[in-house]
Amino acid sequence: MVELWFGFLCLTLTLFAVLDGWNIGAGALHLIVGRSASERREIVAALGPLWSWHEVWLVAFGGTFLLAFPAVMATAFAGCYLALWFVLWSLILRGISLEVGGHSDDPLWQTWWDFVFAVSSVLLAVLFGAALGNVIRGVPLDETGTFSMSLFTHFGVRGRVGILDWYTLSVAVFTTVLLAAHGAAYLRLKTTGQVRDRSERLARRLWSLVFVLFLLVSAETWIVRPAFYAVMLQRPAAWLAIAVTLAGAWALFTGLRGTAESRAFVGSCAVIVGLMAGAAAGVFPVMLHSTLAPEHSITAYTGAAPVHGLAMALIWWPVALVLAITYFIVIMRNYRGKVGPAGDAQGLY
Amino acid sequence: MADDPALWHRLQFAFSITYHYLFPQLTMGLAWFLVYWKWRALRTGDARCATAARFWARIFGLNFAVGVVTGIPMEFQFGTNWANFSKYSGGVIGQTLAMEGMFAFLLESAFVGALVWGEKRLGPRRHFLAALAVALGSWLSGYFILVTNAFMQHPVGHVVSADGTLAIGDLGAYLLNPWALVQFAHNQAAAVVTGAFAVTAIGAFYALRDAYRDQARLYLNHGTVVGLAAAVLVAFPTGDAQAKIVAHYQEPALAAMEGRFETGPMAEITLIGQPNVKERRLDNPIKIPGMLSFLAYGTFHSDVRGLDAFPPDTWPPNIELMYYAFHVMAGLGTIFIALMGLANIQRFRGRLATSRPLLWVLMLAFPFPFIANTAGWMTTELGRQPWLIYGLFRTQDGFSHVVSSGDVLFTLIGLLGLYFVLGLLYLYLVGREIVHGPEPGMTGAAHG
Repeated sequence: MVELWFGFLCLTLTLFAVLDGWNIGAGALHLIVGRSASERREIVAALGPLWSWHEVWLVAFGGTFLLAFPAVMATAFAGCYLALWFVLWSLILRGISLEVGGHSDDPLWQTWWDFVFAVSSVLLAVLFGAALGNVIRGVPLDETGTFSMSLFTHFGVRGRVGILDWYTLSVAVFTTVLLAAHGAAYLRLKTTGQVRDRSERLARRLWSLVFVLFLLVSAETWIVRPAFYAVMLQRPAAWLAIAVTLAGAWALFTGLRGTAESRAFVGSCAVIVGLMAGAAAGVFPVMLHSTLAPEHSITAYTGAAPVHGLAMALIWWPVALVLAITYFIVIMRNYRGKVGPAGDAQGLY
Repeated sequence: MADDPALWHRLQFAFSITYHYLFPQLTMGLAWFLVYWKWRALRTGDARCATAARFWARIFGLNFAVGVVTGIPMEFQFGTNWANFSKYSGGVIGQTLAMEGMFAFLLESAFVGALVWGEKRLGPRRHFLAALAVALGSWLSGYFILVTNAFMQHPVGHVVSADGTLAIGDLGAYLLNPWALVQFAHNQAAAVVTGAFAVTAIGAFYALRDAYRDQARLYLNHGTVVGLAAAVLVAFPTGDAQAKIVAHYQEPALAAMEGRFETGPMAEITLIGQPNVKERRLDNPIKIPGMLSFLAYGTFHSDVRGLDAFPPDTWPPNIELMYYAFHVMAGLGTIFIALMGLANIQRFRGRLATSRPLLWVLMLAFPFPFIANTAGWMTTELGRQPWLIYGLFRTQDGFSHVVSSGDVLFTLIGLLGLYFVLGLLYLYLVGREIVHGPEPGMTGAAHG
């Protein structure tokens, strides 16, 4: 039961990473790929009518987290207080910039909101990357079962760590490049003309960089938390995750070399799914690893809500998931294909 | 109050939820107007209704967006600021917070883009269905949040686990909490009042400026009919039922709402007056004898217990604020019925669009439902104090002990600034839409 809910929780987060990942990635590249106001409108239009739906997967993640692992959720969110609020502020700014940027043709208005969109997207990528780094490295949980982590301390990975250190910063850089590459693959699929061509060039370069950074971060992980790989390689799920990542990488490589835009994009999604699943398989059952003493770590088993409640939620949660995916398919069927250069907003959507 | 260690956490949550709820109440209130207009346009080909839906969908979209971005921090605050509460009760309230995300929020956010921008692409039938999906999603969302709140007001359906935390015992009982059903009816009717007043106000604005005559008439007619019905429903039966349920489960809260310090029969309702908690009396009261006994228990001679009947540590800590919150809500609610009643009389006489003094009042009245809704929620939430979960868990025990006051104040100040800018932006953009006005035809949305 606990394993299943850990899986559901990772599923919501992975859906968020893949779906909102392309919005964040496109946002990070917004000012580079879109050079003129109309090109930037085209990028926003390419994100489609569902960007808030993508973001809502983070809400679904938060709710599911509280439902299944209340003690872990509360300990982790309170412990990373400021960093989490920076995420929330960035989400507010990103949402507003997307929503109001197109409401006026005034060049100053648009320049400002394009800038806000780009900056908040980069911040989100960095913060989510740092969060992932913290999950793998661990947090300073002590004998009280709680922690309170500063944004930075000595930038080392042992003892009283901060949110940012050399390892979590590397993961943050890796994540930012990864999401930007994902966003580029998405824009290449959904746009035409100059925007598409720039996205293609960027996608090729960024995915090469992702590969190099992945090797680097993997080596660092081996130093920071050696048990990660040992645990991971014992799990069949991890082998599946590796297979998905490799298949995705192959689809990306071949798709980016040629003109198979969909194949490259599907590959990009698969790589993110594989990496998220691999990370989950590497840390399970530990959800909050203690950098002070391993016995203070909180696992999925010690942090889960009572089984009776989990069993009851099992009745409705999968139903909601199927319904949500149905809405997604219904909407996306109406928004297939590329968006053209910016005209009136109704035409774009 | 300043020595309250939970002070900044409480202020931050109170501020962010109060601000957030300004937007969903209008979303939930407008949603069914949009559904109705889309349906009329679909069934009868009524072009006026199609234009109205198109115009209001743009305002709805802006409103929805601010609701979304201010809503996401709410859920995360359960973890960041109220960690001990989440650890204690997450096994119960996690059910509905997850349901809200999974069932409701994913539904409304999937279709809102299609509703606001997708008319051309979807065609009339599917566009109507999108409006229906958004309306259902937003009301469902409201229900799950109110079940969560109802559990904090009147906990049912839970069991206490071996480690002392709460777990769900009976999911059905939890979801059908009588408090939640009453509160949902009352709250949703009040949200429709907000929507109806907004529709009416813009109708009055155009009528006064003699612009968009057809649209002005439509907004005035539909706004005042719905406004009267909803304003009456807010008072009776839903407000009445809400008061009875408070009288039943939170007696000290009822006494504080009314500023009633002493127990006795023929309990009066105070129309106006200032609570003097130190002297335990109301100063300068103007009151109707026996009315409170009648409203709470059905007969004039029923005993209504005053605050003297309860130990002071179960009193709501802020009696003055609670008293005013309740009286502002109830007073405004009464005025809404009178105003909408008058507007409907004029409508029957065919003079609604031409009686200028009334139009002025209707135009300027739109902020007051927001105030009444806010005051109503303050009454509810202050009445729950000093409990976080009534009778089970105190507010003092619920906040995140690991988070320093300095950190909370930092984020509170940041939120104040960010939300101030957000408010300006919202008013500016909605103002632009109103000035731009409703235009027939789909190409009207040149900007956006």
